[in-house]
Formats: sequence, C-alpha cells, structure tokens
Amino acid sequence: MTREPFLRMENIVKAFPGVVANDHIDLTVERGEIHGLLGENGAGKSTLMKILYGLYSQDDGEISLSGTRLRLDSPQDAIDAGIGMVHQHFMLIPRLTVAENVVLGEREPATPFRPDADAGGWLPDAVRSNSLVQSLAGRFSLGLDVPERRIQELADRYGFDIDVSAKVWELGVGQQQRVEILKALYRDVDLLILDEPTAVLTPTEADLLFDSLERLTDEGVSIIFITHKLEEVEAVVDRVTVLRDGENVGTVSTSDVSRADLAEMMVGREVLFTVDRERVAPGEPVLRARNVSATDDRGIEALSNVDLTVRRGEVVGIAGVSGNGQKELAEVIAGLRTVSAGELTVDGRDLTNASPRTFIDNGVSFVPEDRNRYGSAGDLSVMHNAAMKDFREDRFGSGVTLDYGELRAHAEALVEAFDVRGVHDVTDATAGDLSGGNLQKLILAREISRDPDLLVANQPTRGVDVGAIESIREAILDQRTEGTGVVLLSEDLDEIIDLSDRILVVYEGEVVYETTPEDADRERIGLEMTGGGDATATAGAQVRGLGGSS
Amino acid sequence: MSFAAGLLNATVQAATVLLLAGLGELISERAGVLNLGVEGMMLVGALGGFVVTAVTGNYWLGFGVGIACGMALAAVHAFLCISLKSNQVISGVMLTLLGTGLTTFFGSGWVQESITGFPQMTFPIVGRYLVHLPLVGEAFFRSTATDYLALLAVPVVWFFLYRSNLGLEIIAVGEDPEMADTMGVPVFKFRYLAVIIGGGFAGAAGAHLSLAFSQLWVPGMTVGRGWIAVALVVFAQWRPSRMLVGAYLFGLLDALQLRSQSLSLALDPNAPLAGVLNPLVNTLMNPQIMSTYPYLTTIAVLSYAVIRTESVRLAVPSALLQSYNREMD
Repeated sequence: MTREPFLRMENIVKAFPGVVANDHIDLTVERGEIHGLLGENGAGKSTLMKILYGLYSQDDGEISLSGTRLRLDSPQDAIDAGIGMVHQHFMLIPRLTVAENVVLGEREPATPFRPDADAGGWLPDAVRSNSLVQSLAGRFSLGLDVPERRIQELADRYGFDIDVSAKVWELGVGQQQRVEILKALYRDVDLLILDEPTAVLTPTEADLLFDSLERLTDEGVSIIFITHKLEEVEAVVDRVTVLRDGENVGTVSTSDVSRADLAEMMVGREVLFTVDRERVAPGEPVLRARNVSATDDRGIEALSNVDLTVRRGEVVGIAGVSGNGQKELAEVIAGLRTVSAGELTVDGRDLTNASPRTFIDNGVSFVPEDRNRYGSAGDLSVMHNAAMKDFREDRFGSGVTLDYGELRAHAEALVEAFDVRGVHDVTDATAGDLSGGNLQKLILAREISRDPDLLVANQPTRGVDVGAIESIREAILDQRTEGTGVVLLSEDLDEIIDLSDRILVVYEGEVVYETTPEDADRERIGLEMTGGGDATATAGAQVRGLGGSS
Repeated sequence: MSFAAGLLNATVQAATVLLLAGLGELISERAGVLNLGVEGMMLVGALGGFVVTAVTGNYWLGFGVGIACGMALAAVHAFLCISLKSNQVISGVMLTLLGTGLTTFFGSGWVQESITGFPQMTFPIVGRYLVHLPLVGEAFFRSTATDYLALLAVPVVWFFLYRSNLGLEIIAVGEDPEMADTMGVPVFKFRYLAVIIGGGFAGAAGAHLSLAFSQLWVPGMTVGRGWIAVALVVFAQWRPSRMLVGAYLFGLLDALQLRSQSLSLALDPNAPLAGVLNPLVNTLMNPQIMSTYPYLTTIAVLSYAVIRTESVRLAVPSALLQSYNREMD
C-alpha cells in the first residue's frame, strides 16, 4: 500500500478489569470504502469503535485520520474530527422530535440570530456576528426551521422517507435507524461507524440500508460496518478485518475469501454449517398435552386445542411466524402460563396448572425467548444465575443456609463445560456483563445441567453469533441423545429442519401441519406457516424477517 | 375583607412558595436528578434571607442571599449524586434533615427578631386599575414583588426548557445521559447546573416565606411545603404550565387548611343525616387530614395519567434517579 490510508488505528490496547478487550489492534480504512469489522460477540469490536468515537480512552496506541494524529477524549472530539457513529442500541430520545434529536448539541440559534446571512435573519450583521450575541443566542434560544429544512434535504438526497417534525417514538425501527444516520450526516461526517446496524431490521429494511450506504461511499464517506453476520460481509463490504478474543486476526478483501474462511478466522476453528445428527430411537412419551387452550397477556385466546406429545430422545420442532402462539405454548409447557382448557402430563403425572416450581421439580427445563428479562437476573452474579433453579438441592446447603463454596464450584464447572467466555470470576461478573451468546450458553448450561426429562427451548440461537449457535445446537442434540424430550421453538426454519425429529407448524394458535425433516418441503412449510396463504415465494422471507421486529 | 377574598389572598401567597420550589424541582428532575432536599433548601433560604434582611435592612439583598443559600445546599446534593453517584433519595432526605437541623440550631437566636420585609404593592402600570376588580383584584394585583416574580418565572422556565438549546440539552440529559454524551453534551456539567438552579429556586421559595409571607423566622416554618413541591412536579407531569395550575390548587388547599376552623359548615343538628354528615365534614376539614389532600390529588392525577396514556407519553424523565458513568455500560 503506497498512499496513507484515511483512518489508521495502531496498536490499540484497552483492558477492563480481568479482560483485555483490545490487544494491540491495528485497523486501516481507505476513503470511500465500506470496511467490515467481523467477530464473535465479545471479540472487542464495540470496544474498538467506542475508542474511535471517544467514549472509551485507550490504554495505549494511536489514531490518525488523513495523516493527522487525533486525541479523542470525548464524543465531541470525535464529532469535531468528522467521525459519526450509529450505535447498536439507538441513541434517540423517543419523546423528542426527529429534528430535536438531530440538532441536539449543535447549538442552533433562533433564526434571526443565525450567522449565515441568507437564513432570513432581520438583525443587522454587526449584531449577528458579535461573538457575545452568538454565544448567548446559541444557549438561550433554539431555532429549528432552518435545521429542519437541512435535515429534510439530507433525507431526500439519501432516499430516507422521514417526517422531520414527527416524534421519534412514532417511527418504526428502520426509520429510527435512518434518524441515527441523519444525526451523523448533519454533522458532515467523513467516517461513519455502524454497530451491527441490521440486528433490528427486516431483510427489506436491510436492503434499503445497504443502498443508502453505497450512496454515501459514492460521495467519499468511509464506513466501518460492524457485524457478525457473514452474509452481510459478502453483500456490502469491500475489505474486512476480523477480530477474535481482542486480537486482530487479519484484514482481507471479501472477494478473495469464502464464507467458510471468514467463519474459521472468526471462531478460530472450522465451523460446521450442517449438524451431524445421529439416530436415536425415541422412547416413552415424556410430555402429553391434550386439547390445551390458553390466552395471551391481553386475555385473547392464543392457543386453541393443541395436542402435543414429546417422547424421550426426540426433538419436536415448532415452526411458525412470530406471534402465532409459540410464546404461549412454550410458557404453558414450562408451567409459566395457566391453561384455560385441556390437560398436561409430564412423565405421566398430571401437572395441569401446577406451579412453576412443580414443573421445575418434575424435571422440566426452560430456555425462554428473552434471555435478559426472563432467562437471567442481569444484576446478579454468574454464580447466582447458574444456581437459580437448583439452589434448594441438598448439595447447596441445609435448606436454611447456602453453601457458597459449592455454589461457586457449580458455576465454575458450568462456565468451563459450556465455554462461557468473559467470566473472570463467577462471583464478580454479573449476567448483565455477558454478551448475548455467552449469556445464552450460561442459561442453557443451567437448564441442561439439571438433567431434565423435558427441555423447552424458545428461540435459543436468536441474535447469537456463529460459534455460539454451533455449540448451543450441539448441546441440545447431546441432551436428546441422553434421552431428554426436547421442544424447540424457532423462527429459523433451517434450524428446525436441522435439529428436529418431527416438525409441527403452528398458525394462529393451532397446530396446522406435521412433517418430518426427511419429508420436509420448505415451500409447503412456509405456506402452512402463513395460513396456506397466497404468496409461496415470500413465505420464507417473512419467516426470517419477522424475527424481532414485532 | 370577605372570607373569599381573604382566602384568595392567602392562596396567592401560599401558591408562590409552591410555585418557586416546584419550578426548581422540575428543572432538577428534568435533568434526571430527584431532589428530596427541597424542604431543607427552603429552610436554609428562609433563615439566610431573614438574617441578612434583619442585619442590613435590605430585603432584596436578603432574597438574593436566600437564593445563594439554597444553591449552596443543592451543590452538596449535586456533588453527592452526580460526582459520587450516591443514591439520590438518601442524599435528598439527608439534606432535608441537615437543613432542618442547621436552621433550628443557628436560627434559635433569631426567632424573636422582627424585620421589614417585602411590602404589598400594586402590580406595575395595569395594577392600578385591575386592583379594583371584585374578589380577585386585591389578591392578584396587590401582592409582594416575589409573588409577581414567581408568576413571571413560569413562562421563563417554559421558554428555557422548550425553546433554548440549554433546555433541550438538559431534557436530553434527563432522558438518556448516554445519548446526550454521544452528542457532545457535557452530562455532568448540565446535571450540576440543573440541580444548583433548582436549589436556587428552593432558596427563593424559602426567602419568600420568611421575607414576604410571614415576615418572621420560625424553625421548621416550611411545615412540609417542600414535600408538597415534590408532589407538585408529579402532579404537573413535569410541565411548567401545568405547574401553575397545580401550585394554585395546592395553594388553595393550604390556605383552606389554615382557615378551616373559622369555617363553619356544620348542619343544623335536626337536619336529616346531620348525625352522619357533621362528623364526616368535621373529619374532612380537620387540618391534619387536609394536609394530605395535595398528595391524594397527586396520586389521583398520576393514576389517571397512567391509565390514559402510553408510558412513552408520561412525562417522567426516563433517566430520573440514574447516575451516569461513561465506561460502565
């Protein structure tokens, strides 16, 4: 490389207590390129970008932009240097309007005080250009007319359909992301960082985003695109830098490498995209649900007359478009939701409308859909979370007191066995400190280590990176081999077909179709999932698209 | 003066205290910092203002010192909650107790003193004519300068919060400090600013109490008005315009409470239901019972707001009670 790159980050080091998040990382980005930053959750991508945006200060290393060294002590420094960032969790205030969110911090004075003479100010230039007047007007007045026009122009230029005076809470997720990009564009950025921008988007919205990114690079803006999705790297990125465990594994041109190569760089070993499933002869039925009906949180019937039998050593996959009763079904089987009709037996014992505790004591394990809200207690330590269902067992204490040594050993064993990363000390690290994939591994470890008779897993791999998906799927299949009956609910049809022994399709709270992976016809399943509706071709896309957006 | 006119007059006086203290609390909470030390800050302002007025004879100087005393105590709250990230509730309650204790201790020698405080004056220019309006004329247009200042503060605070960059930035800090930080807004500085301005308002409320309302110093003379101001902010749903309504409503309750004994609502003992109604009215008009009405009203308003609107439209600042630390997310 002969010419000086646009952005150069050299030898960046950042350590948090117990973890080196960035270990001598180099990164260079050319002008007008889309540069991918790929890595598993917890590999150090976000930390590196927070350093570049001035939110974290690096322990060592240098950053230069267009050959000039930068000292970034706060986001304001980064903004001044022409760096913008679209964060993974939107940095928007729902109660304020689009324009207010965009101009925040820019100190736009009321129109008469604007320094640009053509803005329609009636004040004499001498008054207007006075620095004291400027400073006071910037603090004690606020003009949104001119900024609103500018934001609208920007939105039109990049094809964003946005009403600048709408309140942000009125907008959809895709539109909110466009507001985030507008915030950066309004500040004339030369370098735009996007932190996992497609995590919340439907495929159609993601395509719109990719189009806008190309328009931006055509105008000379450089983009850093953080992701852990390989297909996105192939679709939009020119060059990609791969991080693993806080270290730079390498930077490659996407045209030179295959998806499998990237996955191997990312995970550090070969990744199997197909799962090896050994045959297990299913045993006795462990779960029998007969004519079960239940209502959702609003009291509307969400399950009607569902019959479901799960035998030992069998994975029953439940496929369906989000919101067709899967959540309620999972909760009914796990004992968290009462049924309005029907009966439920586990291992022959009638547990209809028994307490969650009774279900737990009868060997039912549950991996809930929302790992942060229902699967773990974010502020409690990994140790507490690991023992959350078993702490009453004799080995953890007398019934009055708890044996903390044993609890710690239990948690450490789970962390070790399931390769939960980012845990320096099980009593010190909280569940909230873990990245999505690692938290999910911890939850699965807790549920599986109880040696359950029945495992109910709702969306176990949603929003989890490639390496973790692989180990979660393996763990589920191992459990089946050991004779546990598994109910797997997923919106990812590939996952259902790869892991299940039988596949049930739910639509509007009823089981409408049953098949086996051997006979599975994806189009037929897609059709059944959408109520046998019209467009066969769009069914698959909807299945994936409706994931987290509802 | 008729009972109604006297009641209105007392309402305005009481409303001023609540309005000033409430506006200060509103600014502080809008930046995400709950200040339960209002009561203490008011007492400090009341004593500081009273002492300076008694010594110098200048009530404007006294009023200024009262504001400064409130700010000083608020600065302690800001330091504890923003820099040291202590619990805002604990810090606020502690400052109320501290303010009460300090003023009782240092103020004991000033209880007998008398001062010449803010005089009654007619509202400049138009007051001369409007003061003759029946019923409301005397109450609204012959008052103390501090009453007029409190009324003026409502549009000023409204403009500051909603029509200035500083206000927008304070609101952003109270809604989402992390977001504000990424937009280059100095979160700590703005929280300090808001809490200290809020303390200044509380000090002004206290100074009005000792220099204009009663023209006396009595230990603990705020008698819980600081707590009512905290409830008033919730009642007003964090909006200055509604605070004006709330302050006068709560001021009316306050004024009624003082006058409830002189108000005879008892029915003729021989009237039907008198045996039931008389004790009931007596209980409802009992000053101790009446002092709960502002809180009951606030609970009613809050319940109504929760039932009626989606949470995003409820005006409570999203980051209220949350401290901010950049590298801990």
